[in-house]
Amino acid sequence: MAFLKARNLRKTYRLGRDNVVQALRGVDVTVEVGEMVAIVGPSGSGKSTLMHILGLLHSPDRGDGPPPSLVFDGKDVTELRDRERTRMRAERIGFVFQSFNLVSTLTAVENVALPAEYAGRRRKTALATAAEALDMVGMGDRLGHRPMELSGGQQQRVAIARALVTEPALLLADEPTGNLDSENTGELLELLRHCNAERRQTMILVTHDPRVSEACSRVLTMQDGMIREG
Amino acid sequence: MNLLRSLTRRKLRTALTVMGIAVGILALVVMAALATKLSALVESGSTYFRDKVVVTGVSSNPFSPALALTPLTIDVVQQIEQVPGVAVATPRILLHMNPDDPSNAFQLPAYIVGYTEGADRGYENSPTRVAKGRATGPGDEGQQVAFLGADLAREFDKGPGDTFEIRGIEFTVVGVGEPTLMSFDTSAIVPLTEAQAMLYQETPIVVERELDPGQLTSMVVVYPEKGMDTGLLAQRIEENIPKVRAGTSTDFDDQFGSTLAIFNMIILSVALISVVVGGLSVINTMTISVAERTREIGIKRAVGASRARIMRELLSEAAVMGLIGGLFGLASGAVFIYGANQVGETSGTVLFQLTPEIAVLAVAFSTALGTVAGALPAWNASGLDPIEALRYE
Ligand SMILES: Nc1ncnc2c1ncn2[C@@H]1O[C@H](COP(=O)(O)OP(=O)(O)OP(=O)(O)O)[C@@H](O)[C@H]1O
Ligand SMILES: [Mg+2]
Repeated sequence: MAFLKARNLRKTYRLGRDNVVQALRGVDVTVEVGEMVAIVGPSGSGKSTLMHILGLLHSPDRGDGPPPSLVFDGKDVTELRDRERTRMRAERIGFVFQSFNLVSTLTAVENVALPAEYAGRRRKTALATAAEALDMVGMGDRLGHRPMELSGGQQQRVAIARALVTEPALLLADEPTGNLDSENTGELLELLRHCNAERRQTMILVTHDPRVSEACSRVLTMQDGMIREG
Repeated sequence: MNLLRSLTRRKLRTALTVMGIAVGILALVVMAALATKLSALVESGSTYFRDKVVVTGVSSNPFSPALALTPLTIDVVQQIEQVPGVAVATPRILLHMNPDDPSNAFQLPAYIVGYTEGADRGYENSPTRVAKGRATGPGDEGQQVAFLGADLAREFDKGPGDTFEIRGIEFTVVGVGEPTLMSFDTSAIVPLTEAQAMLYQETPIVVERELDPGQLTSMVVVYPEKGMDTGLLAQRIEENIPKVRAGTSTDFDDQFGSTLAIFNMIILSVALISVVVGGLSVINTMTISVAERTREIGIKRAVGASRARIMRELLSEAAVMGLIGGLFGLASGAVFIYGANQVGETSGTVLFQLTPEIAVLAVAFSTALGTVAGALPAWNASGLDPIEALRYE
């Protein structure tokens, strides 16, 4: 059964009258439940833009061309109001940003606890689950550190723990291994595969790392805002 | 915890905002305490005059007859008693304690009040209330005795048995009154005859030649018969007796109510200014702090914080700033009022009255102010598109 079905996703950035960037030019994607999909492609091909739309952080453009549609777990979310989109982000989706996006004033464990709190857990429970999630990514000894006090790879692992803390049905990770050494990359892949297999979490990973794409069940290649399968 | 952390993150700015609110609330608390005290003064004065009509010469103010240019002669008392509806008319003398320096700006004037205690034959609704010793009585006529108002006694530290000098004459203090919130608190009550002698000294020579001291009074306090309207009676007295003015509590209210109204205006303006200043500084601080945290807000929205939740976080920060500012303002206001009253006590006048209502309202007001001022920046911030917010540097 299709877990995620996107049709006609377009995104155009108008920076000036003559400066128009078509980041997405009609993308269709279907991802089955429990799949682990890799998205690869050159820089600027629209991978992050696509991930943002799939993660309900951004809306696809309407207007010229066939209307976009986005179906999430059987539910049409194209026209969803902000309140429901926010709830789905909190409860169903885990997102790892390319640039981590940790709250600089909060400690690692507090950062990781945020989605759990937003999903409705009590603060104490949220912090406890957050500590477990950090342990899973090998950051159990850095709970009280602020992002500034962590290395790039460590921040990346905190960001991954935050995306996994609510055990979301869908994990979207934009370059999750970009700052990790090969040992850490291996461990993370192990963890992701475990989550994918044991928890039936569906995953879409943007990556430049062949080890990551090889670990996935399917690889999509993006170029110039379009998807080339294969 | 997070709330306190984001407030303490920019310590100086938060402190300045809180200070701004505190100054506004300080002004508000002090002015309100002053207004409360003045209202109480006017209110108790109005109550005092409610059961009587005060008659003076035309050139005097019934509520401040010590400024009289020409005193009344005592035969007016009999004339007034003939007016239908009058139960009792009693002469009363009112003089400034210090004719050369009747009052200073922050002090109610001190008076010498001369009357025969008991002459009202029980009609007086606000009889002298004795704290220490006894009140003066009819038997004291011709004696140099004085009954001191509460503030006066405290200022000069006098009690029953002490001597108190008035215009070079030594009076024996027989008693001290309870606080009344009226000019009695700064007055010395002496027997009528003693006051008449002093009034005689002050009276212009032309008038003096034709009279002897016993014929003088500065006013007549008139008690109406039961059921008689004071306004009507005042009108009758003015119609029947030439060259007098008759004042009632309504006249008193007219005269002092307007002063009170002006004061309330001042208080309202101070409140408004504190709203504007305090409110603007909260808006300013919240706008800056929200701008600084645009990324943070974007992150929180991205990982599932609802708009309402962001609003709540930011609003509670603004409310806490308002609350702390209010508490500081109240505390410094209380200190100021305590100090001013302490100074006032030694000079005879307590000017401020800080009530629990003022305290609670001031803090509630500044909390509400903070919340309202924080609302707009909070609303704007919570409405940002997460991705737009994340791109913000
Ligand atoms: N906010 C924006 N305003 C203008 N142009 C944008 C914006 N965001 C993205 N773009 C443009 O859209 C295109 C796709 O960007 P996107 O970030 O999706 O690429 P990407 O595939 O993730 O690249 P990378 O591998 O470098 O992360 C780029 O040409 C980029 O310049
Ligand atoms: Mg990207």
